[in-house]
Amino acid sequence: MTDADDPRAWIHGDESAKAMLARVLTERSFLLLPPLHRLPLRVGNVVEIAGPSPSAKSQVLLQAAVHCILPREWRGLRFGGLERMVIYFDLDCRFDVLRLSQILKHRIKEVLGSTNNFGHGVQEGSQEYDDELLLACMRRFLYIRCYDSYEFIAALKTMHSHAQTESEALGVGIQFLMIDSIGAFYWIDRASQPSPYGNCTRKIMSFQNLVESIVEEMRKFLEVQPLLVLASKSCIFFAGSSTTDVQRTPTTWSSEDRNQWRTSNKQIEKFLYREYMPSAWQAFVTHRIHLQVSDKCTYDRKYGTMPIYMSKWVQPPLNVNDQFAVGDGGIFLIT
Amino acid sequence: MEERGRVAGELERLIDGGTPHKSAVASQVPMPPPRNPRSAIHAKSPITKELGEEDVGMEEVSVVIDGRQPSWLNGVELLEDAKWNKHVLPTGCKGIDILLGGGLREGQLTEIVGPSSSGKTQVCLHSALGVADVHLGVVLFLDTCNSFSPHRIAHMVNSQSDTLVKEGKEGRLKRIMSSILCHSLFDIFELLDVLHQLECKLKHQVKSSGNRIRLLIVDSISSLITPILGGKNSQGRLMMITTGILLKKIANEYNLSVLVTNHMVGGEGGSLKPALGESWKNIPHVRLSLSRDQGSNVCNVSILKHTIIASGRTAKFVIDN
Repeated sequence: MTDADDPRAWIHGDESAKAMLARVLTERSFLLLPPLHRLPLRVGNVVEIAGPSPSAKSQVLLQAAVHCILPREWRGLRFGGLERMVIYFDLDCRFDVLRLSQILKHRIKEVLGSTNNFGHGVQEGSQEYDDELLLACMRRFLYIRCYDSYEFIAALKTMHSHAQTESEALGVGIQFLMIDSIGAFYWIDRASQPSPYGNCTRKIMSFQNLVESIVEEMRKFLEVQPLLVLASKSCIFFAGSSTTDVQRTPTTWSSEDRNQWRTSNKQIEKFLYREYMPSAWQAFVTHRIHLQVSDKCTYDRKYGTMPIYMSKWVQPPLNVNDQFAVGDGGIFLIT
Repeated sequence: MEERGRVAGELERLIDGGTPHKSAVASQVPMPPPRNPRSAIHAKSPITKELGEEDVGMEEVSVVIDGRQPSWLNGVELLEDAKWNKHVLPTGCKGIDILLGGGLREGQLTEIVGPSSSGKTQVCLHSALGVADVHLGVVLFLDTCNSFSPHRIAHMVNSQSDTLVKEGKEGRLKRIMSSILCHSLFDIFELLDVLHQLECKLKHQVKSSGNRIRLLIVDSISSLITPILGGKNSQGRLMMITTGILLKKIANEYNLSVLVTNHMVGGEGGSLKPALGESWKNIPHVRLSLSRDQGSNVCNVSILKHTIIASGRTAKFVIDN
């Protein structure tokens, strides 16, 4: 360390601003993936992706996961991934590993296909190429499934040591933490209150306290290892369920009216995306995006008619709505 | 719920720094409140005498925690599990099988939604027949609305072309019927009871591929849940989500496929929408919508949600009466 006899060394900086910027930009690069491409997301951000049931939230998470586990370069081919590990908490228990491998294979084939056109001659061994690369990428994907809030908290407590052993084994760090459906146990935790066990001074595990413990565990982990947190949240309140809140104008029940009424009523939207997570979680989240499926469809010659999804940044509020669709290889924007 | 409270209490007691059960070691050295119990093992303690005792305490904590939570997996292990354990069960209805790329997948919860008499029970009976016929295993049919009918299955068996010459029709029918276990229930609590018993039985049974349960059908889970849902009361949704999570857990841990049916209710503008509300939409892996034109044999099935296939794809299949 600095010698006490040389106070001048204290004044001279460790590195210049240019060097620091270069270092930070490579170590903590921005994430620019559709549909999250409007804002540069970095480690330390906590993004909440909210939407009603068929709105492609899990696809957004899978897309980001594939981008993270792909290597930057593999045997001379440039894939452009981050080559880091992803931790995926599956609270909804609906993760399908075949979908992840489908997106990954699609991306790999895209890159291999484009270089084949230049005649690099990788066709003979291309199948083994695929498998080896696929397995190398899949090793960087850490997954745990929790059926309960208590299992979730226990998993968060052991996450640090497990992640450390894995990253030492593979030699790469972690970049993303994904939670599929943070509100998966909302109804269970809200309605059930276990009786205080042992002495009565122990705090009751209400939903508020559970979420506070979850947020505290994540903050502790993020202090030691900064990550980008992507959490999907499903909307559990149907917009039309409470007739007293929504003003309905009497119209004829034709199908065109129904569509317009559904997509243009701001009040319904506010009810649909109503916040149900406690303030501890709301304060933890730094960015919010809302996804929705629209009524329009797009026609693609490869996939046929596909529904169009819309995305809107709510925090920080941007006035731009993006449209995207989901194909075999992931999400692509529709301009 | 008491079990969870007890587990939570035990976990908290050990992690918050209370004395563990085996207190002989810890009574000499007060256990520091560990924030990351495992990482303390890797930390280098300057005082070597206390290192040994602290380590033993940490080992105990980590053993307890590892026993309580599900295990960490990585992508390669997930792929292996999907390849070797999670097979595809054909439903027997060609249109559905082609649409789903093979049929019902083990480890997944499939929901069939449709208005009344649109063929939901027929699809369930066909799937039960298909699985039982090809010696795949045992089918557990939980019947909540008296829709299971052995006569219909016998009719289906007789109407299918008999390719096996050795086995007589009666023998085949007997074999199929003995592989389908039917249980009637009329209450959500009965359903949870049966599922818990099933889970216990599966946990403790010896691995034998002969009589393994492959398919669990709950015909009309909505008729159990709609009476308790509704209004501001959240107990109904609590039961629904608990049932859903339990079904998915059984499907994934014991490699069976779960098929449930749901009915439709009136939505806005006079259109029909699936019952059970918004919270239920996040539970099934695959949601299929059936419809049938009046008086015709042909059913239309469309995908509302699927983990791999894009939603909106449709197919047709024929139901024989």
